[in-house]
Amino acid sequence: MSRSYGVKVPRNFRLLEELEEGQKGVGDGTVSWGLEDDDDMTLTRWRGMIIGPPRTIYENRMYSLRVECGPRYPETPPFVRFVTKINLNGVHNSSGVVDTRAVSALAKWQNSYSIRVVLQELRRLMMCKENMKLPQPPEGQIYTN
Amino acid sequence: MAENSGTDPAVERSAEENAATSGTIIMVTVKTPKDKEEIAISEDASVSQFKEEISKRFKAKQDQLVLIFAGKILKDGDTLSQHGIKDGLTVHLVIKTAQNNVSFSNAYFVNSGTANTASPGPAVNLGTSQGSGPSPATSQPASLFTGFGDLSSLANLGMGSANFMELQQQMQRQLMSNPEMLSQIMENPLVQNMMSNPDLMRQMIMANPQMQQLMERNPEISHMLNNPELMRQTMELARNPAMMQEMMRNQDRALSNLESIPGGYNALRRMYTDIQEPMFSAAREQFGNNPFSALGVNADSPGAQPSRTENREPLPNPWGPPDTTSAATGTTTTSSTSSTTPSVSNPLGISSSSLGNGIFNSPGMQSLMQQISENPQLMQNMLSAPYMRSMMQSLAQNPEVASQVLMNNPLFAGNPQLQEQMRHQLPVFLQQMQNPEALSVMTNPRAMQALMQIQQGLQTLQTEAPGLMPSLIASGIPGGIPTGVNVTPENPPAPTSGPGSSPAAGTNPAQQQLMQQMLQMFAGGSASSQTPEVRFQQQLEQLSAMGFINREANLQALIATGGDINAAIERLLGSQPS
Repeated sequence: MSRSYGVKVPRNFRLLEELEEGQKGVGDGTVSWGLEDDDDMTLTRWRGMIIGPPRTIYENRMYSLRVECGPRYPETPPFVRFVTKINLNGVHNSSGVVDTRAVSALAKWQNSYSIRVVLQELRRLMMCKENMKLPQPPEGQIYTN
Repeated sequence: MAENSGTDPAVERSAEENAATSGTIIMVTVKTPKDKEEIAISEDASVSQFKEEISKRFKAKQDQLVLIFAGKILKDGDTLSQHGIKDGLTVHLVIKTAQNNVSFSNAYFVNSGTANTASPGPAVNLGTSQGSGPSPATSQPASLFTGFGDLSSLANLGMGSANFMELQQQMQRQLMSNPEMLSQIMENPLVQNMMSNPDLMRQMIMANPQMQQLMERNPEISHMLNNPELMRQTMELARNPAMMQEMMRNQDRALSNLESIPGGYNALRRMYTDIQEPMFSAAREQFGNNPFSALGVNADSPGAQPSRTENREPLPNPWGPPDTTSAATGTTTTSSTSSTTPSVSNPLGISSSSLGNGIFNSPGMQSLMQQISENPQLMQNMLSAPYMRSMMQSLAQNPEVASQVLMNNPLFAGNPQLQEQMRHQLPVFLQQMQNPEALSVMTNPRAMQALMQIQQGLQTLQTEAPGLMPSLIASGIPGGIPTGVNVTPENPPAPTSGPGSSPAAGTNPAQQQLMQQMLQMFAGGSASSQTPEVRFQQQLEQLSAMGFINREANLQALIATGGDINAAIERLLGSQPS
């Protein structure tokens, strides 16, 4: 998607494109995303999956996330929250909501960013020194609220 | 059959298994972080059928497969169409290995070769019962202990003593876990709690398949494991490095006594082969290749010489290196095996008796040798251990045993000429071992480093100007190059071949000559004449592609780890302040 001419691609087109990319597995295979509900015509609710990076405490785990692309997406960043419990800087311990200010992709959001970018950024955060050794809750737990 | 919209014969062929579910065949790409395959599957197949296909293609069990599509995990009961999986789309695959949960990365949980399914199991239970926080941390030492046969596992417990910390640092090669994390883990009170639970520990240990095998073969071990008193003592040991060393020393002394009993040597050797080897094999997973196979391979002279020479490093005499390295082995393996086999073989003692025999076939040795070469400090620590002294002394006093031991070295077996030579040199070497000068050189890290450099220089020279070597050697290269061993041929630094003469006693012509020969053989036998930079070219590129731009540091890390990229990355990351 080129932004170089300042062309604003309509939201739905963008999201459809992202849907297709998610289904085609664009990227390195460490994150995955798709619509939460295939009948969601508004393309608002998305599901993401991050595979915990190797050599970190998140290794061996798959983290499920919910991504909500609001009506002003992609002008505004999506809301992201973890479904699988995780101990990561920038993620609220009790709700799994990702703090927009803590993730640079969300804090400095640009139109050209996408769900994939956010997921990959979160995965990168898992590999940071400050995060890679944080003790984690047992596998399989999810946030209930 | 399945010919309805099979686009090509390949599709039809593989789709025949899916014939039961008629319907359009679609091509779905299955992607793991490592590779990707196209799988043909019927469009209304279920996820479990799909997994069946995948398990065939990826050679993994169905229950090891986790499929992800569009951010959702595909459950066996679902169908592909339910998730909207159509022709040409990509599904992500994660293969959980039986031990480690994800196939492409074994790193964090330390023991790739051990049954971590057991350890996360109880550890997770422990975690849930004890609270959420440190449970992954606890599962780690659990898995560490599970790999009881792994030398490094215990070393990785970060037992705190200088020796162990260093061993741990350097044995990480295959383990790839962050040493800081481990020490943190050790300090975690929950961990300590868990470790003080003998039942849990026993469970962990027994979960290791290699341990299980070992136990079948040697009921003593299972007795030992079942003895709670002993288990507790073991765990005390694990926690208390000083105690561990003490115990090892006692064992060493006991074994060296044993050794002097007629027939004792044989008994020890038997014990070794029965117990030690499987343990070492367990450890082998960790270390990948068998360093001593490298030795064994070079069975023909001049290959034999370097092998023999390498064996003998780092001490300046034939029994020295095996002693030392076996001491190192002892240090680590005894640590790992002492708790399991206090009544059984002490690798240290056995090593001293069966110097060439089997010991060198242990993967543990390689890493030990490498550590030794990389870390003169380690050598010093080892040498200063009283048990080393006593062992060397006993060997010196008992030339019969020494010669027997030496002769039994399989490397010698193929070369009677060498044996002869060795026999002649025996008394000389024995004396040398006693020579405090030699010892002091060995304990002096700088001296050893210097010797290593000399070694390197010789090596280079050998390759550059083969004819030059003899004359160089003849000019009295400071003998007793007690530098650490480095068995793998690729490793440039310091395989020693100094056994010939002690630093001070370089005037002894017989010694000198022998050393000269060894040096020559060694240098001649070195497999690689390229600089590390050239050899690690590919790895360097990979590292810089990953973002490690400090070429110097990369190179050093690669050299230290022998070209192992993953371990090099660990070193690089570990060297950064965290």
